[in-house]
Amino acid sequence: MRKFLNGPWVLLMPTLIILTCVVLLPLLLSLWTSFTPFKLTKPDTLYRFVGFRNYERLIGDLDFWIAFGRTVLFLAIALNLELVFGLGIALLINKITYGQRTLRTLMMFPMMFSPILVGFQWKYIFNDNIGLMNNFLREFGVIQPIPWLVDGILANVSIMAAEIWSSTSVFAILLLAGLLGIPKDPIEAAKVDGCNSWQVFKNITLPFLMPFVFIAMTIRSLDVARAYDIVQMMTGGGPAKRTELLWTLISRTGYVDAKMGMANAMSYISIFLSIAFTFFFFYKLVEARQRLSYE
Amino acid sequence: MMLRLFLSLVLAVSFFGSFSAKAETELWGDFSGVTLRVKLIGGGQYEGLYNEVIPWWEENTGGKIEIVTQKNHFELDKEIKKDIASGNLDFCVASNHTSFASQYGNIYTDLNNIMPASVLADYTPLILEHSTVDGRLVQMPRHSDVSNLYYQKSLYEDADNKANFKAKYGYDLTPPETWDQVKDQAIFFSNPPDFYGTQYVGKEEAIAGRFYELVIANGGALFDEDYRPIFNSPAGVEALQWFIDLYNAKAVPDGVLNYLWDDTGLGFASGTIAMNLDWAGWAGFFNDPENSKVAGDIGLVRAPMGSGGLRTGWSGSHSFSMTESCPDKEAAASFLWALTSNKAQMIEARGGLSPTRPAIWDAIIAEKKAEGDEFMLMVFETFKMSLAEDAFTPPLIPEWIEFTNALYPELQAAILGDKSPEDALATASKKATEIMEDAGYF
Repeated sequence: MRKFLNGPWVLLMPTLIILTCVVLLPLLLSLWTSFTPFKLTKPDTLYRFVGFRNYERLIGDLDFWIAFGRTVLFLAIALNLELVFGLGIALLINKITYGQRTLRTLMMFPMMFSPILVGFQWKYIFNDNIGLMNNFLREFGVIQPIPWLVDGILANVSIMAAEIWSSTSVFAILLLAGLLGIPKDPIEAAKVDGCNSWQVFKNITLPFLMPFVFIAMTIRSLDVARAYDIVQMMTGGGPAKRTELLWTLISRTGYVDAKMGMANAMSYISIFLSIAFTFFFFYKLVEARQRLSYE
Repeated sequence: MMLRLFLSLVLAVSFFGSFSAKAETELWGDFSGVTLRVKLIGGGQYEGLYNEVIPWWEENTGGKIEIVTQKNHFELDKEIKKDIASGNLDFCVASNHTSFASQYGNIYTDLNNIMPASVLADYTPLILEHSTVDGRLVQMPRHSDVSNLYYQKSLYEDADNKANFKAKYGYDLTPPETWDQVKDQAIFFSNPPDFYGTQYVGKEEAIAGRFYELVIANGGALFDEDYRPIFNSPAGVEALQWFIDLYNAKAVPDGVLNYLWDDTGLGFASGTIAMNLDWAGWAGFFNDPENSKVAGDIGLVRAPMGSGGLRTGWSGSHSFSMTESCPDKEAAASFLWALTSNKAQMIEARGGLSPTRPAIWDAIIAEKKAEGDEFMLMVFETFKMSLAEDAFTPPLIPEWIEFTNALYPELQAAILGDKSPEDALATASKKATEIMEDAGYF
């Protein structure tokens, strides 16, 4: 006992207690509810065990799997576009010698808006009747209004535009931090050896940046996999489920239909999506670091 | 506990000016030291009442009101469901609605046991009946909703419109009496993207409710006596086809499936919509030149009839409830009365809302007559008749909102052409059956 009290466990205890209370217990409770028909308006249902019934229903629920697939697709496209735009912005700002700090601050502005406000703004921009986009296009002769938030493809593109506008700066800031940390010597040596700008970028800058890319990817993949506010504000997952993502479906099931047991079962399945992306990006991060150290 | 509640009968003349209303039973008491925690519906149209009634009640009783939450009804609904789940019902009074009330189980007190019969006698009996869940009066009605058809008068007075319409459709252009006529006229008036014949709320409970009332007006029903879905019927298909036809004809804006109540109200006020089915609360806004381009050019008719010869009349009432856990039920009862009293209802009626006390209908109509306000007089007379003769509630069951969430994506899918009306209703019917089975109806 004395050995235990003098050992490292004692130092770890506060952390373990806090993690148990804040993370583990809520997780276990929500896992339990996913095996019950728990309805928010009928608290007694929390104690009725129904085994895997919720999961069995979800396996045969086409709406759920379509939302799951759409979330994966949304995540893949949004992350890659944010990476491309973020990298471009970071490279441009890195080139500037005057006013870089001001630009870095300006770049962070979209992140300062709450996602709900971003959703409202972009809903207005893409409104088919009074929206800025259609009025702008009308100046160029596009008379028939484009139903941005109704058409299946356009609605998803519109939501993606809002998501990318709001969060590209996360990539830009992390990649800019990476760019600022790259040693100058290898770049200068490569230029002396006759490498052009593309070769320097591809063979020196990018490998140095890759760990930062994967850290940004990991953070944003967790964010996007939980995308809710912007989608809810712009379309609510509709019309006709054309923009339904996992969390609009889960939120409606849990809080509007009050079927929290079913919503938690959906959440546990969707967690696998986040785990898969996180695992993939961490694997790539370790790989990129190892490659850097070899080189 | 000492009974601090007392009743008095007074003539409600002090706040009606020259109007002499029927005697109102008041419910005052001395509630010094009592603080009532309340959760209220927020938003421009609702908050004016609180600004007047809360100080009035506090001044007359010595009690205090602490507003814990003030948010839109859908957010408030979510919050109360979370409160039920966590067992954290530490408030006394909350906003409610007849369409929502049955979801909340027994958290709200049966007001039949608390409100004196003489107080309840001041409200419209049918509305109190709609406020009752499983024999328990769980809410005091604040104002009622039903929709009637606003239209731009000048369109119907235009000689060219009259002649062209008659030539095309073979009957006179007059404000519509049936939903088929609404369709004809909406298509006739439409000139997209600058002008549309009509519009409808296109998502969530809103479109499900509109579909429901049209099914009823067409002679159908959503459920049979055992709550088995029966809306996948000729009446249901006909109702859904009405929405589809207007959408395909571009007689409604393309984005209509994302519209809710504010969008349709603001759309009509923008002057780009010929006809708009909406509630009385918008009337003052529509006729205010500061806010509306159609001010002074508005006509209003009772909601048209479906093919079954019935008028649409999806109706409900905003209300206030008292929690079973409230430690100061007498104070809460007094506050519920104040929020729905003659004074309170007159304040809201002057904004165009439909009262739930017969005395206030008489009072507001008398007041508008005296003022010579022909427009608001027309509004109140139309809505009074509509609430008396056409109004019906949705099924007052806890599963109503969940059911509408299963139904509306299918309606949207049919309107957008992703599915045929029959397929969409068959899918919705299957989901509704599952919901009702899970709830134990059959």
